[in-house]
Amino acid sequence: MVKRSTAFRKIVFFLLVVLIVGFSIFPFIQMLSISLKYPSEWGNPRLIPERLNFEAYKELLNIGQTAKNIPESVRNLLNETPDLTQEQRETILKKYTSTGDVFPFLRYFYNSFLLSFSAAFITVVFAIFGAYSFSRLRFPGRSIIQRGVLFVYMFGGILLLIPLYKMFVGIGWIRIPPGAFLSLLIIYIVQTLPVSLYMLGNYFRTIPFSIEEAAMIEGASRFGTVWRIIIPLSFAAIVTVFIYCFMIAWNEYLFASVFLKNFKELYTLPMGLKALFTSKNAIWDRIMAASVLTATPVIILFMAIQRNLAGGLTSGGVKE
Amino acid sequence: MKLLQLNTAEGLNLRQREVLLGWSMVIPSVLIILSLILYPIMYNIYLSFFDVQPLAANTYIGLENHKNVVLDPGFWNALGTTVIYVVFTTLGTTLMGLFVALVMNQEFPLRSLARSLILFPYIAPVISVVFSWQFIFDPVNGIFMDITYERLGLFASRFNLIGSPSTAVWVAVVFSIWKNFPFSYLMILSRLQAIDHNLYEAAEMDGASGWQKFRFITLPEVYFVMGAIVLLRMIWNFNKFEEVYLLTENVRVLSVYTYFKAFVGTMELGQGASLAVIQFLLLLGFILFYIKRVLKW
Repeated sequence: MVKRSTAFRKIVFFLLVVLIVGFSIFPFIQMLSISLKYPSEWGNPRLIPERLNFEAYKELLNIGQTAKNIPESVRNLLNETPDLTQEQRETILKKYTSTGDVFPFLRYFYNSFLLSFSAAFITVVFAIFGAYSFSRLRFPGRSIIQRGVLFVYMFGGILLLIPLYKMFVGIGWIRIPPGAFLSLLIIYIVQTLPVSLYMLGNYFRTIPFSIEEAAMIEGASRFGTVWRIIIPLSFAAIVTVFIYCFMIAWNEYLFASVFLKNFKELYTLPMGLKALFTSKNAIWDRIMAASVLTATPVIILFMAIQRNLAGGLTSGGVKE
Repeated sequence: MKLLQLNTAEGLNLRQREVLLGWSMVIPSVLIILSLILYPIMYNIYLSFFDVQPLAANTYIGLENHKNVVLDPGFWNALGTTVIYVVFTTLGTTLMGLFVALVMNQEFPLRSLARSLILFPYIAPVISVVFSWQFIFDPVNGIFMDITYERLGLFASRFNLIGSPSTAVWVAVVFSIWKNFPFSYLMILSRLQAIDHNLYEAAEMDGASGWQKFRFITLPEVYFVMGAIVLLRMIWNFNKFEEVYLLTENVRVLSVYTYFKAFVGTMELGQGASLAVIQFLLLLGFILFYIKRVLKW
């Protein structure tokens, strides 16, 4: 088709590409734009701000918030009572320097990171051994396990939500913060394990068995071959699966909203953002800046593994 | 622990040792899936026959939950919304994926950049893009009202498209197409790349037009991958929660309806369990029908 294209067809084609790319990234440009605009410019559809406003980012990342938030009365009090020690002054000032009560972005970020990282790590460890077992070793029950892993694709989160909630309430974990956090961690492991088993299983099958055989002839145990041969050879695939799991946990809202409802200090980013949006502190530039900061780590991670992930996606190893 | 098992297994032959090792490596995963996926599903069916309180004991009430669910017009509304949502998002996502894959399969400058940029919607967290979409449709500041009302004069006044359920469902459909078309695009593109170029050259020699080449070479080649995409998309979108609920609480598809029933207000957990069972049975019935009739397996 391209070979015979005239100049006119080329222009139409070029416009098509621009339209598709524009449609895909317009919402991202929109949020970046609003996060940098002053409120007076929000109604202006122009995407490039006339003056850059970094306030929202500074507020969320807690940069240079010292002087701004101190009420006039407190400042007067500090000026008029010279006999306060330096230490006392600092404790008073500290109360106003943190934007924590508006939207403690860094804490939510930390919660999300801790949960996603631990869940992805534990899942990948289980999945490496599980996937190796059913893709390499022959034992009765193997095919049932393999098919069962695929069957789990059909279950949406909402089907598991109520029974899991009742189960974790039953053992009393939901009433205490560490319990709630741990329940959520376990749930994220469960949600990412089937897809990891499936993706890694597919990958392990592509490694020639002769390499392992050679190692075993040299006297390595089966366990040793997994550690010294399989893991190094499939390191890229393992990292890909890890990041894929990380992203699933990072994006999760449904279970977090039920399990962490009563513990504001444990909120993950999706929960925090949703709560910010419905609170009286909802201001477009702040929401958009928080959106940008939530999307950025995932997009960076994705860029790092793009080639591998595209391959993994197309071989059917995905779950939503 | 595993080393220990290997040591005790020394008296066994090679075959038996492989069985033992196979099971010991896979058993943690199997236990996790059994106890936290399969058991909860059974437990959910059990709960649907009880009056379930968050902190108190359950009382058996037979089919009362199922009856309450089916007699509630809200359920039928949610079912209708779900059908609209699933049908249009699946069609839109698949067709757009096909179209974009055809475009991106051509050669043009900066193609690899364009190919990565169009994956952004799929990988970005749902929560990070919903507010941008809400801003686009914001009645006061949004660009949608700016174009349709200020410049084109299509509407009599500014209004919030996401505000009322009847229009919000279409915003949710477009949002879902935007979010998920990259997945269909990737699957179809990788199939397109595998098509033998000689086929097109032979067709060209016989004087086939662009449309004929698409109709008789490309389409048959991608037919099955599209069938698989439609199936996966239907399963996923039927269960979809976040992409709808976080964009707008006005669109009550079944998952959102169940969530509100079970966790907002009076917390009707028993009815929620019953809804989840009904939703699962509907999905299962549909999948069996689709596999038999459409994919003809």
